[in-house]
Amino acid sequence: MRIAKAVITAAGRNQRTLPLQTLRDRDGTEKAVLGILVEEALSAGVEEVAVVVVPGDEDPYTAAIASVIGEHGARVTFIPQARPLGYGHAVYCARDFVGTDPFLHLVGDHLYVSREERTCARQLVSVAVAESCAVSAVQATRETLLPYFGTVGGRRVASRKDLYMVETVVEKPTPTEAELSLIVPGLRAGHYLCFFGMHVLTSAVMEILSEQVADADSNGERSVTLSEALNVLAGREKYLALEERAQRFDVGVRYGLLTAQLALALSGVDREEVLARLVELLASRSMGYDHSPAAGS
Amino acid sequence: MAGQLVSIITSDLPEVRNQSLDGFCASASLHELLAECAELEAFRHRSSNLYECVRALFFLYAIHRFHLPQKSGVERRGLIPYRGYEHLLQRRFEEAIRAFLKNQATGGVNESISSALAEAYHRLAFQTLADQVRRSVRSVRGNQWMFRVGHPADQPLRLRKELLTRTTAGLYPILHEATPVRMDLSHSGWSDIFFLGMDFPEGARVLNVSIDLAVHGRDLAPLPPVEAFVRAIDAPVLRLTSVDLGATAEIRDLAEVFDYARDYLGLLKGAIIAAGIVPPGMEGSGEQLSDLLARLVGKGMGLEVVSKVNGIPKGSRLAVSTSLLACLTAACMRATGQTGSLTGVLEERERRLVAARAILGEWLAGSGGGWQDSGGVWPGMKLIMGEQAVAGDPEYGISRGRLLPGHHILGYEEVSADTRRRLQDSLVLVHGGMAQDVGPILEMVTEKYLLRSDAEWVGRKQAMRIFDEVVDLLKQGDVRGIGDATTRNFFGPIETIIPWANNLYTVTLIDRTRQAFGEHFWGFWMLGGMSGGGMGFVFDPDHRARGQAFLLDAMQQAKQELQHALPFAMDPVVYDFSINQYGTHADLLQSDFEIPSCGNGSIALMPPAYYTLLIPQLLQHGRHELSATRRAELDAFGAICRADPQLSGMVQVVFDQLLPRSNRETEDGRSLDALLDDLGFDRIQHEQIRADVRSGRVGLAQNRLPASTVIRDVAPGDVLDLAHADVESRYPAEGLEAIRRGEVAVVTLAAGAGSRWTQGAGVVKALHPFSKLGGTHRTFIELHLAKSRRVSQETGVWLPHVITTSYLTHAPIRDFLERKGNYGYGGPLILSLGRAVGLRLIPMARDLRFAWEEMPQQLLDEQAQKVRESLNAALIGWAQTMGEGSDYRDNVPLQCLHPVGHWFEIPNLLRNGVLAGLLDQRPQLRTLMMHNIDTVGVDVSPLMLGAHLSSGAAMTVEVITRRVEDRGGGLARIDGALRLIEGMALPKEEDEFRLSYYNSNTMWIDIDRILEVFGLSRADLRNTEQVADAVRAVAARMPTYVTLKDVKKRWGHGQEDVYPVAQFEKLWGDMTALPEMETHFVVASRLRGQQLKEQAQLDGWLRDGSAAYVESLCAWGEG
Repeated sequence: MRIAKAVITAAGRNQRTLPLQTLRDRDGTEKAVLGILVEEALSAGVEEVAVVVVPGDEDPYTAAIASVIGEHGARVTFIPQARPLGYGHAVYCARDFVGTDPFLHLVGDHLYVSREERTCARQLVSVAVAESCAVSAVQATRETLLPYFGTVGGRRVASRKDLYMVETVVEKPTPTEAELSLIVPGLRAGHYLCFFGMHVLTSAVMEILSEQVADADSNGERSVTLSEALNVLAGREKYLALEERAQRFDVGVRYGLLTAQLALALSGVDREEVLARLVELLASRSMGYDHSPAAGS
Repeated sequence: MAGQLVSIITSDLPEVRNQSLDGFCASASLHELLAECAELEAFRHRSSNLYECVRALFFLYAIHRFHLPQKSGVERRGLIPYRGYEHLLQRRFEEAIRAFLKNQATGGVNESISSALAEAYHRLAFQTLADQVRRSVRSVRGNQWMFRVGHPADQPLRLRKELLTRTTAGLYPILHEATPVRMDLSHSGWSDIFFLGMDFPEGARVLNVSIDLAVHGRDLAPLPPVEAFVRAIDAPVLRLTSVDLGATAEIRDLAEVFDYARDYLGLLKGAIIAAGIVPPGMEGSGEQLSDLLARLVGKGMGLEVVSKVNGIPKGSRLAVSTSLLACLTAACMRATGQTGSLTGVLEERERRLVAARAILGEWLAGSGGGWQDSGGVWPGMKLIMGEQAVAGDPEYGISRGRLLPGHHILGYEEVSADTRRRLQDSLVLVHGGMAQDVGPILEMVTEKYLLRSDAEWVGRKQAMRIFDEVVDLLKQGDVRGIGDATTRNFFGPIETIIPWANNLYTVTLIDRTRQAFGEHFWGFWMLGGMSGGGMGFVFDPDHRARGQAFLLDAMQQAKQELQHALPFAMDPVVYDFSINQYGTHADLLQSDFEIPSCGNGSIALMPPAYYTLLIPQLLQHGRHELSATRRAELDAFGAICRADPQLSGMVQVVFDQLLPRSNRETEDGRSLDALLDDLGFDRIQHEQIRADVRSGRVGLAQNRLPASTVIRDVAPGDVLDLAHADVESRYPAEGLEAIRRGEVAVVTLAAGAGSRWTQGAGVVKALHPFSKLGGTHRTFIELHLAKSRRVSQETGVWLPHVITTSYLTHAPIRDFLERKGNYGYGGPLILSLGRAVGLRLIPMARDLRFAWEEMPQQLLDEQAQKVRESLNAALIGWAQTMGEGSDYRDNVPLQCLHPVGHWFEIPNLLRNGVLAGLLDQRPQLRTLMMHNIDTVGVDVSPLMLGAHLSSGAAMTVEVITRRVEDRGGGLARIDGALRLIEGMALPKEEDEFRLSYYNSNTMWIDIDRILEVFGLSRADLRNTEQVADAVRAVAARMPTYVTLKDVKKRWGHGQEDVYPVAQFEKLWGDMTALPEMETHFVVASRLRGQQLKEQAQLDGWLRDGSAAYVESLCAWGEG
């Protein structure tokens, strides 16, 4: 199994400017969120990247990632999602780009910070290649955050601490549902395996999505979720979940961008400088000094 | 060799495991029993198995309660250490047991300490079971997370989007859930109690049917009896409304959600919590409810939950309250996305979860039912069966069965549509009007199951066979056979296991139906915990319609006859019913009505009764203060009322709600004031007492003697113990001679209502058919007359029997005796009407606090205690709002009055001419034996009489040795003087525990000497004024006690509230403090002297040989 393609979904109608936000990456250079994501994908050995976008966003996005593309000489395609039919449908828009190949999939509003040398995408892709199947990155998450994530139920793969055989996938379950069907032995009480926003998927997912899009069309439904498709996938073929040694940051939530920036900075080359500034900020606040430009004016 | 009982408990062989304790104990010696107790005590500490511990506890309880006291060598007299008793009250059962055992080791085995040990073991056993059920409920998957949520930011639930999409009229849609109630088609010996299911899953089986109901003659067609409505509102509050209980509240404070007894919304609060809307983990977090609602519904938003029961009264034995809780829980769970579908029916695993949450809600709100009670959540007919716990279950390794049973829905291939229809065509469901607490019965069932008493165990196995038979008959479609089987079940195993499930009312109805319908009456069928409330009668389908009409008449007539004898909460009703094929079901109300005045909008409305309840409150605000949505809603309701002919009566209903009619008259139309005038109420004295109460000169704290009083137990020689061999043998002969000479009369005290007997229901205790004796239900009066008849027959002289009465009891007793022809009593039977009456007062908050906070109180189980504390706070608030120390008038007149204590009973005999009349008839009359109505073992004993006569005393008092339950004073040396002392007069609670003897209140009174004390002679009795003055003079020397009594107020459909009210009494025992009253004290046996104060005592009374003893004293007459 070789993974040479990646699909990034960035077609959220309310979050069109998110991928354009600039942050300083761990190397200290300024990049757009989308650019960081493309780099993440490329770090895993991907050669072609498709970004699913709201029609009309192609140009600003191209500009935002120009430096990254130039540097790596990668091929990036933009695929417009003509109608907002949900996350699952956005992935489905890349069906022609993917063809019958397995592909890496990232969401456009998350950033990932690995705790080891290898990037998150690299860790995931290497497991998918080794196991030759679809793999989703997951993270043990407290039940109070269940309303925000797709969640998987399953059991640990023998002799692996970080790998799980997925049996069920439920989109944003209630904790009631989670306790009944998503408890994974070995996790702390009240914790579940929630999606990390990064998957290696097989073309079978596109087939399932195609069925679901057709169903939704005929039933007049307005949304197709990826979780539903992955739940079906778990029944059809081997499908694993990898608990990554990493953190993910949703840049779409309140202070999400700030938190992501801090996380990047604290794990990158400017760590000392940012830490010093944080300490100074905290110390001056607690001692009652105010160094803000507005002070005294 | 010790350890035999432990081996019964631990054996794997059913024939050994199911051995009865009684068999072993009957033949064991005292020494052997004590050795077994020590072994059981050690065993229960080392065993970690729930079943083994609990069974060992019940064994220990039963040995101390029933078997040890029977063994020779056990002392009757002993003292119970107060420290141990305190532990018992504080629910520190292990410490209590340790203290009692230590006392037993040092002071020897005696009845008193065994009674205390029995109580402690019994309570610990039930506590252990309750703890286990609680742990299991918490650990059910799907419930666990709710106990971990402690902050609004942790709330993981969100209201479903469908409920947040406003309709065009600007209102939110309403989620409506309707749920059938459950009917138990088999009554398999209460096998649905949690512990039985968890210990004996193979024996826990019920046949449960979901039904819709209608009140026959009132409603058009059967509908699901309980409904819930949920919607979003644009205010950050929880608005809860119970339409049927007429209660509504806007809750802004998180703590109030957990305050269950504050109002009538406890069930709704239980559901809100159990559904996870306010997760139980939030209790005591100090967070804001608005923050939690913002998380769940949206910023500035809230939730409204409304419950509605369609006129089905309490006590229907159809699990209405559990069904409502399940209905509310289901609706709240749907609204928050915890079920797959917002509307329609539920999936199987969702039903199980709703059932588990309903159990949780019941536990939270301090109530409890069986595990089949949420059966209405499931559709149609189903078998509900206990399930073995297997690896992976939270119960595995702790109990044999799971907490929740399994449900098998019977398909049409198993029970045909034709059978279902024929069942509907044959069965008449009724509510007989009695609504009683079945809690004690369920405890008895658990206890008897664990003790495996022979008869009970045979009964249980028989009930299991009948269950199989009913299931088979149902599959065969033999409805007549089912009627036969359920009748055999009722009169066979059910009555064997719990005799109290049956009562005179039920038997009367069955007999009359049988007489009227002969072979067309196919059988009786008991629903739920006990009979008298919800019941089923099976008829030949051709006669069913006639059966419905007949039963309504028969129930009304029987109720009329027994209304003073049994606690009826409401008028009987007959139901129409149909089997519900859906189980709980929900729909989204979005466009119920098209309203021209609202433009093209459509609008969802709550049930009409909701508006009649809320409109008066909303009118208190100006229209401009109402939110736009409220205004739109009210406009819509008004428009519908004008347009829909079915709602044309709403104006009148709202008007009645605004100006409620006063209903403060007795059955014969007399007002309270008229009644007070008739009964010779002394207004001047009342006002004096009221002023004293208000000023604090009189109160619970003032009942007590000064703290400096020296209180000692009796000294040797203070009491005469007739059980000892050295007592002179001439007493019986002397007594017998006196009876033969016609010198004795009996005075039975029956003026009181026996508030503890029916928790303030106001029935006449004397007329309560409390137990089957000699094959039929007997009233207390019949029993006492039967004993007098026996003595009369043995001596050849009819004993005059006086029954003292009061305003409350006189007419009912007179009418009852007339109907019964005095039970064929051949001697003089005279009613002595008391002329003294008091008017109850709203208690002072300080007295309520004194009773609840300063007096030692039995602490309840954790959650129940919380509910009680919340209720107490509410009642103190009630007293303050109503006006502390003002007259209690907010009830039917008879419940506002009270008898003024049994001190007045003997003076009444002097004043009302009864004694004078008796003396005219029998000038030789010399002695009166006065006794309480509930001292069932007392009779005119020649031995006692002989002892009394020989002493030459003015009065001889019978005392008994004390058991832990004998509270309320006793015999003591008070500052050196031997006298009876009331419990409420003792300066310190622990004083009572130093007193060996308890007052049985049976007293032998020398007529001439008592007259002397009053300064009268026989001749003076005709001079009414002189008698009145004499009585007043002695009365002035008697202390007046303030007491708190529970009084029931009935309302709605069988609803009852219990209020504490203050009243006054003087008690005859204080006569022993008069120096001129020479009193002797003799010890009576427990069988003779014990009193039946609470119905919960009856079972032990029947089992420990007391009932058999009483029966041996009786010669039953005709009546």
